Amino acid sequence: MQRLASIDHVPVVLGEVCSPAAAAEAPVASDYSIPLILTVPTAPDLTKQGNSFLFRVNADTDQLNEALAAYVGERHLSPLSFIAWNNDAGRGGVNGMKALLPKDIAIGYVGYFDVGAVDFSSDVTNIRKSGARAVMLLMDEEPGALAIRQIRDAGLDSQLMGTLAMGSDRFLTRLDAKYLDGMVQYSAFPPSAPLPRIQEFGKAYRARFGEEAHGFAAQSYDGLLLAVKAMQAAGTATDGAAIQKALSGISFDGVVGHIQFDGDNQAKPPVYITQWCKDGTRKIDFPANLKSECGAG
Amino acid sequence: MPASGIRFAVTALLEQIVNGMMMGAIYVLVALGMVLIFGVMEVLNFAHGVLFMAGGYLCDVFVVHATGSYPLAVVLTMVTLAIVGMALERTVFRRLRVNLPMQIVASLGLILIAENGAVLLFGPSALQLSVPSVRSLVRVGELSFTVQHFIIVGATVVSIGALHVFLHHTRFGTALRATSQNAEAARVIGIDSASIYRITFAVACALAGLGGALLGPLFLISPQMGDLPLLKGLTAIVLGGMASIPGAIVGGFAIGIVEAVSTLFIATEYRDMVVFTVLIAILLMRPWGLFSVRVRGDA
Repeated sequence: MQRLASIDHVPVVLGEVCSPAAAAEAPVASDYSIPLILTVPTAPDLTKQGNSFLFRVNADTDQLNEALAAYVGERHLSPLSFIAWNNDAGRGGVNGMKALLPKDIAIGYVGYFDVGAVDFSSDVTNIRKSGARAVMLLMDEEPGALAIRQIRDAGLDSQLMGTLAMGSDRFLTRLDAKYLDGMVQYSAFPPSAPLPRIQEFGKAYRARFGEEAHGFAAQSYDGLLLAVKAMQAAGTATDGAAIQKALSGISFDGVVGHIQFDGDNQAKPPVYITQWCKDGTRKIDFPANLKSECGAG
Repeated sequence: MPASGIRFAVTALLEQIVNGMMMGAIYVLVALGMVLIFGVMEVLNFAHGVLFMAGGYLCDVFVVHATGSYPLAVVLTMVTLAIVGMALERTVFRRLRVNLPMQIVASLGLILIAENGAVLLFGPSALQLSVPSVRSLVRVGELSFTVQHFIIVGATVVSIGALHVFLHHTRFGTALRATSQNAEAARVIGIDSASIYRITFAVACALAGLGGALLGPLFLISPQMGDLPLLKGLTAIVLGGMASIPGAIVGGFAIGIVEAVSTLFIATEYRDMVVFTVLIAILLMRPWGLFSVRVRGDA
């Protein structure tokens, strides 16, 4: 970030995939008056630091959790257990989810693991001991696949709930469909959803890269178009401060949905809950007006 | 405590003992190799973890691209790593005997080369070695484990037995023990120390490879997969006594079981803290480890 600002003199920076790294980059963006547009990190606190140069296109964990918290409440999945990354994203996600849950949902077991961990057997034992009816996995694909396999191999049949990284065909390549059957996850981009903007992007993405589109790609694509639109609105491709002003007031219909930043520069794109079916396809469970059959999620 | 609570607690304890034995067996395989090399050559091979990692990758290559057979791939992995071990001994570690600072530098260099080499050859993403037969499940009451849990423990026990037979019932093993006790005296009576060092490294690296090949199908194969087993294997030999084979075995299994069972009482993210607290406590009482004998001049 420092190099991009002081040597390359870029007007806008897109990206950073990791919340802690984004937190470290944000002050540099502010110091050099360069808008930093995040499209992947989900730690809720990132956009609550009063940094007017930090923008986030994707939903944060609190926004993503909202729908899942309602899902847990409706089905009374109590006690609810967690396995989460031992970092801002994981701990922030657990705390956010706890705050959103109805009061009558008890918390069973909460286990944190460091990046790179592969053995979740202790978590599995503690989940069994807690009698959890549901387990939420706040992590990405790699540990997620391992945790799910170890939970199911150990004979636990708790309802599994995952993150947006676990709702794509790419995730299915890591696990047999039998492990995923019934699992729900929040999603910002259900790749098979019957929505024209998603279908169109999915088709173009598959033609270009030969695989199913996923949320990170869609969000990053929107972030890029947003930067271009802001430059056009500001009438400059070099003045970071002017582009920042344009971004603050922008209104944009992207692949992930309508994007408009609030006072904290946080967008509020639509969030979905998808569920894995026995045959390895997915369906949409939330929002109610988009509920679908297997194969359309 | 109500009866159901006791049942849950006993079930959890049993599950964690089995899980702990499985991981402990992996630590034993790493620790045995390290203790053999240290005992015979006074070389502390901090790069032993990357040999474990190489075992995982080689096994994947042998299964997916060569044989299609997991057991055969495990054997080929061990043989390949034994050859790699002999080459490492000859080219790197023989010159560094009794020079701990240079052993550390050389080991760190090997770690960097091996881990970056793995990224270069296999990419940064972890590999998933899918072996359906080892993923089949064994039910024990209401618990369920993969067959690989028991294969890992069984293979480790067989390796310990084979090592015992090799060390105590073969001429080469006797020569190896003699070199370990007094290298100079062993040379005086005609033992070829160069061969002993070579074979020691070969056996140690084959054991590390076996560990990687056994754990690979259960979890993931990644450049860093040997880091934790190295740390725990090193802890096991410090705990058991630096040159003690029984110490490495007891230390490895003890660490696996203690860290697994401790998570029933404290948060899982603190399990390493428990292991190292136990290690420090034992070393305060017995600085020479559990199984080594205190000699004059030792602290």
